[in-house]
Amino acid sequence: MAADVDDPRLAQIVNVLVQLAGGDLSGRLKPSAARDTVDAVMTGFNLLAEELQEIYREMELRVVERTAELVKAQDALRRLALNDQLTGLANRTLFGDRLRQATDLAERGGLPPAVVVLDLDEFKAINDTLGHAAGDDTLIEVARRLILAVRKSDTVARLGGDEFAILIPDATADDALRISQRVLTTLQEPVNLGDHTGWAGASVGLRFGERGQSGDMLLRDADTAMYAAKAMGRGNIQIYQPAMHSAVQDRLQLASDLATAIPAGELTLHYQPVVNLDTRAIVGAEALVRWLHPTRGLIMPSQFISVAEDSGLVAEMGRWVTEAAISQLAEWRDVLPERFQVHVAISSIALRRRGLDEFVADVLHRHHLEPNRLVLEILETGLTTGEVTSMETLVDLRRSGVHIEVADFGIGYSSISYLRGLPLDGVKVNRSLIADIETDERQRRFVGAIFQLIDSVGLRAIVEGVESDEQADQLRHLGYRFAQGPLFGQPMAVAAMTARLCTQGLGASNRAVGHPESGHRQQIVGGPH
Amino acid sequence: MSSADAAERLFTMTLDESGIIRLVWNRGTAIKQRDARAALNAANELCSAGPRPLLVDMATTASVDRPARAVFGEAFKPSRIAMLGNSAVDRVIVNFILGINKPIKPIRFFTDEAAALAWLKAGSDGG
Repeated sequence: MAADVDDPRLAQIVNVLVQLAGGDLSGRLKPSAARDTVDAVMTGFNLLAEELQEIYREMELRVVERTAELVKAQDALRRLALNDQLTGLANRTLFGDRLRQATDLAERGGLPPAVVVLDLDEFKAINDTLGHAAGDDTLIEVARRLILAVRKSDTVARLGGDEFAILIPDATADDALRISQRVLTTLQEPVNLGDHTGWAGASVGLRFGERGQSGDMLLRDADTAMYAAKAMGRGNIQIYQPAMHSAVQDRLQLASDLATAIPAGELTLHYQPVVNLDTRAIVGAEALVRWLHPTRGLIMPSQFISVAEDSGLVAEMGRWVTEAAISQLAEWRDVLPERFQVHVAISSIALRRRGLDEFVADVLHRHHLEPNRLVLEILETGLTTGEVTSMETLVDLRRSGVHIEVADFGIGYSSISYLRGLPLDGVKVNRSLIADIETDERQRRFVGAIFQLIDSVGLRAIVEGVESDEQADQLRHLGYRFAQGPLFGQPMAVAAMTARLCTQGLGASNRAVGHPESGHRQQIVGGPH
Repeated sequence: MSSADAAERLFTMTLDESGIIRLVWNRGTAIKQRDARAALNAANELCSAGPRPLLVDMATTASVDRPARAVFGEAFKPSRIAMLGNSAVDRVIVNFILGINKPIKPIRFFTDEAAALAWLKAGSDGG
């Protein structure tokens, strides 16, 4: 079929081709009703243009999709670089950026930012007892609560480990305090960890903003305040004061010194006698740790146990105390009274750590000592958390023959019926209960009733802190048979204790007075890692 | 037999005595996707007892847009489809349908009805 070159459809084709060449793919030809060859060309042209337009549309769509994916990937990378992977909170880098922005804002006339640094008090215990997965769950839950405790404009960051920070930009003192208090309160709530319940708790340091102060300084100061809160007994808020720096430095130095104290042989044990109230004969001794610091001199446990707990050295120190006490017991073997026992206080941290029972059994075995020569003392409060690991360890220890005692009974909240369900051999009655028994008839009757209760459940009672013969006599009349305290001897060095034991062995008077040194109860025995 | 509703359908469909489904598009129809799908669905219904060949009379069809052409790339029940046209325009349209959508069963363009019917029957006879 020949086409007429004057056919107006050809001009139409040329026009739309030009349009197409210009990049406009929407042009279409209108074939005639003739449906001849030219119409077929026009139809084909239209179909090709339509396909081309569709391909372009799909390509553009793909470009949009790919671009969106790229943006998403870039966003993910940015999050990776600026957010904590576990909790999704800001990381140290992002926190630093926001902190700089906040201090810049203050320079331009806004309120300076406040910074909160907090460290979980019980994270190590949760990790050690329930495993890293429970530890991670705890951190995620803590992050969730922190987000709920702050304002939308605040930044919550995980600085690392169990340390978190909150940036409160444009903050009044009231804002900062209110948020800190909310944080403290929310972290005191129990954390549900599957079959277990954990308590994270936190020590909180707060640094109020100050115009002209750099972000780094604010963060450092908040960190210092947090350490001060730790030193104040945890679970509290401390507001930064310049004087804190030296205290924290001192504490850090002490922690650093403590790390070398054990290998350097600077720790030593003192012993306080436990006596039979009827005969005043020594029936045992409580081992108490002392630190002979090369420059600071004798340091009492009250000054370094919390440092040991914070720095994680408490476990190593505990092993040393157990080993040293048992080793000393073996050395005393020839002068020991029959059934003499050495008492060692153990921390709840140690009890929660698996393997304490094997460690104790191994040390006793190496020194050829019967397990019932050892009494492990645990704090009443260390038992009330109802932790499975602690209870299993206690049961295993007691099954091996080691005696278990609850220390400081009478100042906590546990009832005698609760103690009855525990694997115990005895109870140490806290010194505060007997302070007035010589003069206070009601207190005397109360202490007597406590004895009756302890005795009725088949446990042995030892009274701590006996200072006078009157107290000793009263206690004896009330039924108590065992006691320790200044009256029978202060904590004393090995040589003095050895002398006491030798003297008693020779049948001399059991009445003796050790050198005046207060007996702080430390709880530091850690299980093996 | 299925007959198109003029208000909705732009085609007529019949089943002839030889077992061939005949689809005739209305004159000057610009076929859209929904029309193509309605036609193919109607043909599928007539194949409920088994596949039958389909003859599509598309002479005088104005156009078949892209989504409508894509319908022929989807699954259908007729055993093979003969597209009957009478112009170079029809030939171009059909070849765009075939070339771009890669139908899963044989589709061929014819300008001669007898040849189309012979090809369809050859298919239904197992050829």
